[in-house]
Amino acid sequence: MKSKTLQITLIYTIISIIMAVVCHKLLTTYFSSSEYLYLPLVKDIAFILLTALFFSLILSKNEKRNVTIFEKLNKINEAIEESNEKYDIVAKATSDTIWDWKIQEDRINWNKGIEGVFGYDPKEVGKTSKWWFDKIHPEDSIRMSIKLYSFIEQKTEKWQDQYRFRCADGTYKYVLDRGFLLKDENGRAIRMIGAIQDITKQKEEEQRLKLLETVITQSKDSILITEANSSERKIPKIVYVNPAFSQMSGYQSNEIIGKSPNIFKGPKSDSVELQKLLRAIKNEEECLIETITYTKSKEEYWVRFSMIPIFNNEGVISHWISIQRDITDEKKLETEKEHLIRELTQNNKDLKQFSYITSHNLRAPLSNLIGLLNLIEDIPIENEELQEILAGFTKSTHLLNETINDLVKVIIIKDNPSMQKEEVSLEEVFENVFSQLSFQIELHKPIIKLKFDKVPELTTNKAYIESILLNLLTNSIKYKSENRKLKISITAEQIEQRTILTFKDNGIGIDLERNRDKVFGLYQRFHNYPDSKGLGLYLVKSQVETMGGTISIDSEVNKGTTFTITFKN
Amino acid sequence: MLEQILCIDDDPITLMLCKKVISKSSFSHEVITAQNGEEALHHFNILKYTNDKAKKRPELIFLDLNMPIMGGWEFLDHFTSPDYQEFNTVPVIVLSSTIDPEDLAKAKKYPIIIDFLSKPITLAMLEYLKKKIDL
Repeated sequence: MKSKTLQITLIYTIISIIMAVVCHKLLTTYFSSSEYLYLPLVKDIAFILLTALFFSLILSKNEKRNVTIFEKLNKINEAIEESNEKYDIVAKATSDTIWDWKIQEDRINWNKGIEGVFGYDPKEVGKTSKWWFDKIHPEDSIRMSIKLYSFIEQKTEKWQDQYRFRCADGTYKYVLDRGFLLKDENGRAIRMIGAIQDITKQKEEEQRLKLLETVITQSKDSILITEANSSERKIPKIVYVNPAFSQMSGYQSNEIIGKSPNIFKGPKSDSVELQKLLRAIKNEEECLIETITYTKSKEEYWVRFSMIPIFNNEGVISHWISIQRDITDEKKLETEKEHLIRELTQNNKDLKQFSYITSHNLRAPLSNLIGLLNLIEDIPIENEELQEILAGFTKSTHLLNETINDLVKVIIIKDNPSMQKEEVSLEEVFENVFSQLSFQIELHKPIIKLKFDKVPELTTNKAYIESILLNLLTNSIKYKSENRKLKISITAEQIEQRTILTFKDNGIGIDLERNRDKVFGLYQRFHNYPDSKGLGLYLVKSQVETMGGTISIDSEVNKGTTFTITFKN
Repeated sequence: MLEQILCIDDDPITLMLCKKVISKSSFSHEVITAQNGEEALHHFNILKYTNDKAKKRPELIFLDLNMPIMGGWEFLDHFTSPDYQEFNTVPVIVLSSTIDPEDLAKAKKYPIIIDFLSKPITLAMLEYLKKKIDL
């Protein structure tokens, strides 16, 4: 640079001197005045040298200024380059989606985030702000654009907003968008650069926490949170109570926070239970107690109280959560229930005893009657009338005996619902039943079809199954039709886990439309038969149910009756 | 056939039945009766203190449970005590109208009770007992 100034000055000096010398030569040729021959030349040269000196000074000053400007520009350029480089790196490195909006031209550029975060193909990403606004959830878009434009007009520097942004697959993501405004020298907004952060996870977590919080605030159980650190054998201080707690105890949260739950203790509190609680706190264990506690106005109420220790990530206890439920009503009901059960048990016992005594007192004279009649059997009686009377007497006595025996069976079955079960052969059971009914069978000669090959054996109570089949068979014979020969079919089947016994006859049947509810009832009789006691089916049902089975009836008047007994294996 | 049996029952008709039915069967030559436990114990006391070897002793007892003054269970408690040790080989048959399962369960606790039968006494019952006591 310096040399350039010198160069220019030197060229100027040389050319000017050459010009001066040439001019001098011409002047001396045409105007000869010898005495001042070299004077003008010297003057000219002196002038030239002087101007050259000035010239050189001005040039060198200018040059100096230029150098500083140049250096400044260089520095600025470098800074811009570096800044651009940084922007590129940040735009690449950040997980945020960066946008760059030239407001006047309405051109917007997106970095790779629009592809990576929202799944858009670079080709489908629009170049105007409309594309951007179109992707904002309809519920958010108006609010967001109003906020954005008012920001641009007010021209403050920073802006941020949350909204839902649609992804390529149509789903929405919650985003936090932050932007900076760039202004021209007149303060006009010309460019805006922003970064969109995907906060869907945070938002979802926030909503989940909000939901969980409603569980605490809306819960009908009171919830207390206390500090963890406490001096030995002390219940730690309360840091939170929910509204249900205030309702239950009468203490508002601001009155109770910072206090120790010891204030709920009162004269009637269960000290053993409280000891259990203190022990659990000491051992940092969960525990559940029930005790009487007191409201702010010193009213007592029963509470079921659980304490759960909360540990932080390091496994150190940080808080205790206590959930309390008012069980005053429950306790009251429990006491009432216990009382009622005691009373009922006693009543039941008394009734049972009463039934034993009654049946004993009935059976004792009855057995005498039977014994006496047995004795008469052996005495020959001539008088026919007396014979007839005695026959009626015997029949009535035996009927009374059967009735009493059935009643006794009912009493015993109701008293002793658990009974022993064994493997019983159905064939064998029927042989016994038939032998007991041999007289009637011989008399009426019914056609009996048995089909037990599917279930030859049954795990059941032998006496009960015999009694059941005896009763059903007796009924079939008793209520046979006079118009046709009695047919009885009895089958046993195994269907899945159940054994089904079907007992079918073609007798006179029962009108089920009128009597369905009563069929298995006590003292229900459906036919005017003198020896019908109204006990048989009641006893059958009781015995079936005692063995865990069910019985159903299907019957049609004058067609017949089918009983279906089902036992679960 | 047994020589003598004792029937303990408060009901005279039961006692009459016992006597008649037993006399019809060849179960025992003689039937003596007592109206309650106390009367029966009194009979054994006499046997104990008179110590008359010629006097017959009951070889079997039919015992009712529900009786006034002293019932069957109380009688058994005395009768199985050391006081009556010399009679503890006499088997007892409970003959009752009870249906209380507790009575049945209780009877199992007395080894002296060899059977628990339901009234009335019948010839068939005596036949069955004969086989049981191997008569």
